[in-house]
Amino acid sequence: MSSTRTGKNARLLTAIAIPLASLVVIVVAWDLAVRIFDIAPYVLPSPQRTFEALQDDWEILRDGAVITSKEFITGFLIGAVAGFAFALAMSWSRLVQRLLYPVLITSQAVPIIAVAPALVIWMGFGLAPKLTIVALIVFFPVVVNVLDGLAAVDKDLIALATAMGGTRWRIFRSVTLPATLTPLFSALKMTATFAVTGAVLGEWTASTSGGLGVALLEAQSRLDVASVFAAIVLLVILGLAAFGIVALVEVLLTPWRRSSVAPAWRTHFRNRSLSTPPAPAQDMSPAPTELAAP
Amino acid sequence: MSLVLSGVSQSFGSVEALAPVDVEVASGEFVSIVGPSGCGKSTIFNIVSGLLTPTTGSVTLDGNPITGRTGHVGYMLQKDLLLPWRTVLDNIVLGADLRGRATSQERQRAADMAARYGLGDYLNHYPHALSGGMRQRVAVMRTLALDHPVMLLDEPFGALDSHTRLLMQQWLLDVWREQRKTILFVTHDIDEALFLSDRVIVMSPRPGRVQEVVTVDLRRPRDVHLTAEIPYTSLKGHLLDLIYGRAA
Repeated sequence: MSSTRTGKNARLLTAIAIPLASLVVIVVAWDLAVRIFDIAPYVLPSPQRTFEALQDDWEILRDGAVITSKEFITGFLIGAVAGFAFALAMSWSRLVQRLLYPVLITSQAVPIIAVAPALVIWMGFGLAPKLTIVALIVFFPVVVNVLDGLAAVDKDLIALATAMGGTRWRIFRSVTLPATLTPLFSALKMTATFAVTGAVLGEWTASTSGGLGVALLEAQSRLDVASVFAAIVLLVILGLAAFGIVALVEVLLTPWRRSSVAPAWRTHFRNRSLSTPPAPAQDMSPAPTELAAP
Repeated sequence: MSLVLSGVSQSFGSVEALAPVDVEVASGEFVSIVGPSGCGKSTIFNIVSGLLTPTTGSVTLDGNPITGRTGHVGYMLQKDLLLPWRTVLDNIVLGADLRGRATSQERQRAADMAARYGLGDYLNHYPHALSGGMRQRVAVMRTLALDHPVMLLDEPFGALDSHTRLLMQQWLLDVWREQRKTILFVTHDIDEALFLSDRVIVMSPRPGRVQEVVTVDLRRPRDVHLTAEIPYTSLKGHLLDLIYGRAA
């Protein structure tokens, strides 16, 4: 038990240490590039200057990060829920699929940068156009992936569940819906970082409500490159955090993809009423006595 | 008389897939269906399970009509079709979950059955962690847990290696004896059909129809040595003649 625990901790440590090391390499390379090539601070500030700018502008940047986070998280959730519902509706009937397919493709074909100003005209300078932009970015990959997941469900499995007496709704709940989790999360991981970009894009077109994108524009107008980089660093951290949270939720919701045994928190409640099963009457792969006989 | 198919036929458009067949399977009997591809084996299964409504004829179970009605017989295919996100235990109780939600008694029964048939230590494992033979056992248990007297098994061991397959056949005979099920079994394998069954229905294709029903009056319990004994080999010769034509 203790040896597996140690092994687990060691694995966890490597899992964290190696990505962290690559991050350190990037920062060191950045710093060395600035020193060796003697790059002027108004072209590329050193990591240290960036850090100082982060400290100097901390209050503005922090408030900006909070606003941007609200935008991309809310927009992300709206896009994910809408995309999922869209995919379900499309899989439900051929008619709905034919009706919605053009809408789906159009949603992807429209250049978001181009419609952003129009969205501001329609929706004003508040939260709405930003949420729409983020949601539009998340929407399409979610629909496409979930549709693929729904289409990949084995027809024989549906036949089996039907033969077992399952109604359409119960088959959907127990067989179809869980099959969408894996493709859903690959779409969500893909779009989690794009969602941050979408929020910044929205802030640039309607800059009255603040956010990191606005802080970035303001620093740029002052030619304060170190502050621009400080804002960028925060945006990167937000993007990484978004990805990390989605990845964490995925690990919790799809344990079968990584583990042979269901984690205790998933089985404990359902199995609490089981008495200890009797000792096995048969071995795992018994050679039945007749077969073993010479 | 448990399961009765009378005058059951199936046409898809103008193509007759299954000419009218009459099959009676007694309660507790083990009957296999053999025949080449396209002989209507799977069509018969889909009709008995209620997935297909036959063009003509009817299916009754203990006198009650079940034509075109699902949920009255157990059903299992060559693919184990275990749900990857469900543990062994949750896969076994899938049928109960599809009819509502598995009660704690149903879960207990499933756990006891898994322990009885050698999977007691694997209740909380996911299917991908199991071997092919173990997965098929879980699939059989999922069918048993439905608690229907009739089980339809469509080439359940077709994808297993020959050794595992022999063990699984032996195991299935144990399960059949203990659980007193009526089993209708489809296979391509004449040896498998002979080794397991009380009767073998030989079918021929285009359109699928019953060519002959062969009674397998071999000793029980059976073991692999049976397959080298003369009554077995002469029955096998007869089946080979039926399916591949009489040897020159």
